[in-house]
Amino acid sequence: MKRLSMPVVALGLASALALTPTPSRASAVVGEAAPAFSLSDNEGHTHSLADFAGKIVVLEWTNFQCPFVGKHYGSGHMQKLQKEYTGKGVIWLSINSSAPGKQGYFPAEKLDALIKERHAAPTAYLLDSDGTVGRLYGAKATPHMFVVDKTGRVVYAGGIDDTPSTDQADIATAKNYVAAALDEVLAGKPVTKATSAPYGCSVKYAD
Amino acid sequence: MGTTCRRQVARMKSLWGQAWMGLGLALIAASPSHGATQGAQASSEHTTVSLVAELEWVQPGEPFWVGLRLEMDEHWHTYWRNPGDAGLATRIRWTLPEGLEAGPLVWPRPERMPAGPLMSYGYEGETLLLTEITPTVPISGDSVRLQARVDWLECKEACLPGRAELHLDLPVRAATPRPAAAAEPLFREARRRLPVPAEGWQQAMSTTADGSIVLDLLPPEGTPPLPDGVYFFPMEAEVVEHAAPQRLLRAGGGYRLEVPAAANAVVPDTLRGVLVAGHDDDAVALRIDAAPAATATAAAATPPPPDSTLSLPLALAFSFLGGLILNLMPCVLPVLSLKVMALVKHGGESPARRLQHGLAYTAGVLSFFWILAGLLLALRAGGEQIGWGFQLQSPAFVAFLAALFCLISLNLFGVFEVGASLTRAGGIEAGSGLASSFWTGALATIAATPCTAPFMGSALGYALGQPPATSLLVFTLLGLGMAFPYLLLSRFEGLLRFVPRPGPWMASFKQLMGFVMMAAVVALVWLFGRQAGVNGMSLLLASLLVIGLATWLYGRGEAPGKTPRTRLASGVAAALLLLVGLGLSQAAAAAPPAGGVAEPSAEEGPWEPFSPGRLAELRAEGRPVFIDFTADWCLTCQVNHHVAFGSGRVFERMEQEGIVALRADWTQRDDRITAALASYGRQGVPLYVLHGPGPDSRPRLLPEVISEQVVLDAIDELAPPAGSS
Repeated sequence: MKRLSMPVVALGLASALALTPTPSRASAVVGEAAPAFSLSDNEGHTHSLADFAGKIVVLEWTNFQCPFVGKHYGSGHMQKLQKEYTGKGVIWLSINSSAPGKQGYFPAEKLDALIKERHAAPTAYLLDSDGTVGRLYGAKATPHMFVVDKTGRVVYAGGIDDTPSTDQADIATAKNYVAAALDEVLAGKPVTKATSAPYGCSVKYAD
Repeated sequence: MGTTCRRQVARMKSLWGQAWMGLGLALIAASPSHGATQGAQASSEHTTVSLVAELEWVQPGEPFWVGLRLEMDEHWHTYWRNPGDAGLATRIRWTLPEGLEAGPLVWPRPERMPAGPLMSYGYEGETLLLTEITPTVPISGDSVRLQARVDWLECKEACLPGRAELHLDLPVRAATPRPAAAAEPLFREARRRLPVPAEGWQQAMSTTADGSIVLDLLPPEGTPPLPDGVYFFPMEAEVVEHAAPQRLLRAGGGYRLEVPAAANAVVPDTLRGVLVAGHDDDAVALRIDAAPAATATAAAATPPPPDSTLSLPLALAFSFLGGLILNLMPCVLPVLSLKVMALVKHGGESPARRLQHGLAYTAGVLSFFWILAGLLLALRAGGEQIGWGFQLQSPAFVAFLAALFCLISLNLFGVFEVGASLTRAGGIEAGSGLASSFWTGALATIAATPCTAPFMGSALGYALGQPPATSLLVFTLLGLGMAFPYLLLSRFEGLLRFVPRPGPWMASFKQLMGFVMMAAVVALVWLFGRQAGVNGMSLLLASLLVIGLATWLYGRGEAPGKTPRTRLASGVAAALLLLVGLGLSQAAAAAPPAGGVAEPSAEEGPWEPFSPGRLAELRAEGRPVFIDFTADWCLTCQVNHHVAFGSGRVFERMEQEGIVALRADWTQRDDRITAALASYGRQGVPLYVLHGPGPDSRPRLLPEVISEQVVLDAIDELAPPAGSS
């Protein structure tokens, strides 16, 4: 231990001297207030998080060309969740952070068609082409899911379920973290599983 | 065919290099051999997957390795077990015949694939993921079919999931299997890329208040420094922020890596992952398994580092040679030569008896080498940052040696004779008992410690980086080398013919050797003076004076014709004085250095004192650097200085080339220098290191015995003279 402790102390001093404040990385952190944002949807309406104060909000990062998103929409599972929980008063915001020219980016009118074709049923489908809100939340993957409670705090951040795959067959056996979190929040209980590693395609930010 | 061509082009550019290229062609050309259906393969849009067996057939009862080979189109990648911010780890599900079990996937080190603000970990070009298959019951039949379902995600900008059902038929034979020729380079390359356990490394994880995860690493001594470009790949997602820059601090031979934690990090009990340093062929990949700092233990067993700079046989050869050379050192030569003379004198003894003497001497040498080695290893295991030569960093030991050498030379001068009763205590030539030979060996070993012979540096450096058993083996060979000449003489009487016949010359020779020994005393006193200052040195000289007086008194008392009473009185007085003398010498060592304290060698030359920080600074500036690792107690170092730097030509040349000269003075214990030595794979001085210009150049280690020409040549090779092409 002595052998380790000496260099460690030296390193500690050295790092204390060399330490420059790490730039704080924008992220939605569980237990903290969800960062405020304002985005237009595919129909041109602007939505702010503040508009939904007092409501439970789900943020779903999405990209229709991503096979992981495809798994959850192709099976109808995502639409089912959207319908079920918006039916219970939850606000469901799908957010597309694909940059122009990147996979998953579409002009608004094309998106209208795609959303209809998939029978997607979010409260709104928001366009974040410059990636500002994606970066603000630290959204990494599609799907990457966040749940915000009625007080505006993030109560879940992570993957949609516990089975990283593109195989629709896995949905039946997977534990859906978002549904579980929503059920708990709706019941006024603390969220048991508040974080998980998101899985999916990378969010197609501008380089 | 078009696809094949494209793949070949892609592969040429891949990081896997030309070996893969050649192999790709070889595989295309290879026909299935020995009935093994070589890798049923499948292709997705951008990836070809296949199963490859390492051996040509399966031997019942023996585990074997199978690889999943993924060949990606140019710019397409598949993922590591932690895919990073996005992606999906390749997955394999085996269906094996009864009695075979598949182990988990073993992953070569990944590469980083940044995309905007995100980071993925995976493989480009191609990779081979390994699985060990273990038989649990005897295999029946003459072949086995291994089936696997493989799922992977291939991405460039966009991602595509891939899936394949693969199978591999392998014959079963009783004979020891041959490696499959086509698979051999694939496995070799994959194994070269496997992270190795960070054995002997101390690892600790901690977190900072500002949300960073800190990984502290301390390599075992003798580990070469990690190359630049250090990056930690966490095994689990959601621990560290994959895309964030990682900050590395190198200090005291250790490393501190600071990585911002993931926004919603679930900090695990132990931080697991792979630390990769360097690039391409030079990269080092270590498996990291760091417990929180508070519970990190010093359970640092030190098995061999994966790449030692010296192989074991070579290290053993060097130690034997180093031991041989020790015999010629001024501190050992007098002891040995007198022992040889005793052999001549006792020429009448039977050959068997003489051999016994030789063996006893060897036993004495070996025992003391083992004691010294054991002490060294025990201290190091206890956490002391010491290397070989550590004894001489202790003023008390130096004072003891000076007193001992003084006693020996007085004995050689004939001031006193060691009585028969004292033979065991180290009478050099008087005793004829085997114990005497044993103790002479022991004495020679202790006397040898100030003289680190050439060749010994690298051998000892190697020894200390090894498990204790190997270290002891190196020390044993060193002892055998040292004992060898005497052992040889004691066995082969014929060799004694080269020694002149006994006669009066022996008395003169003995006295001459006394002066050689006195020279060693002078060197030790000088060394002591540099450690303890001028007052301490004077005290030591006074103690030597008292010791001299004691031996004279004793000698007078033992002289013929003295009454028993006189003999007793002089004996008692001598013993008391000897005690006073030895006490004084130890008091001298304990005295705080006052006045004339050791300054860094004020020898002429452009030397700057060495510090790891200064070195890092100069290297970062791309300046060439020459480092002289030295210590006052290192005789070879002093001689080297005179020989190599005496004329000043080396310094002129250094100035022309803009080489900065650093001197690391290890006379007194200095952990930073110990660590720096270790970073070059050495445990002791002398060591001369030449860093070329440019931050990436590799350091060049000069031989332990240098001359002006050796240094100038090394500088020449660094910078071709102006005018040459």
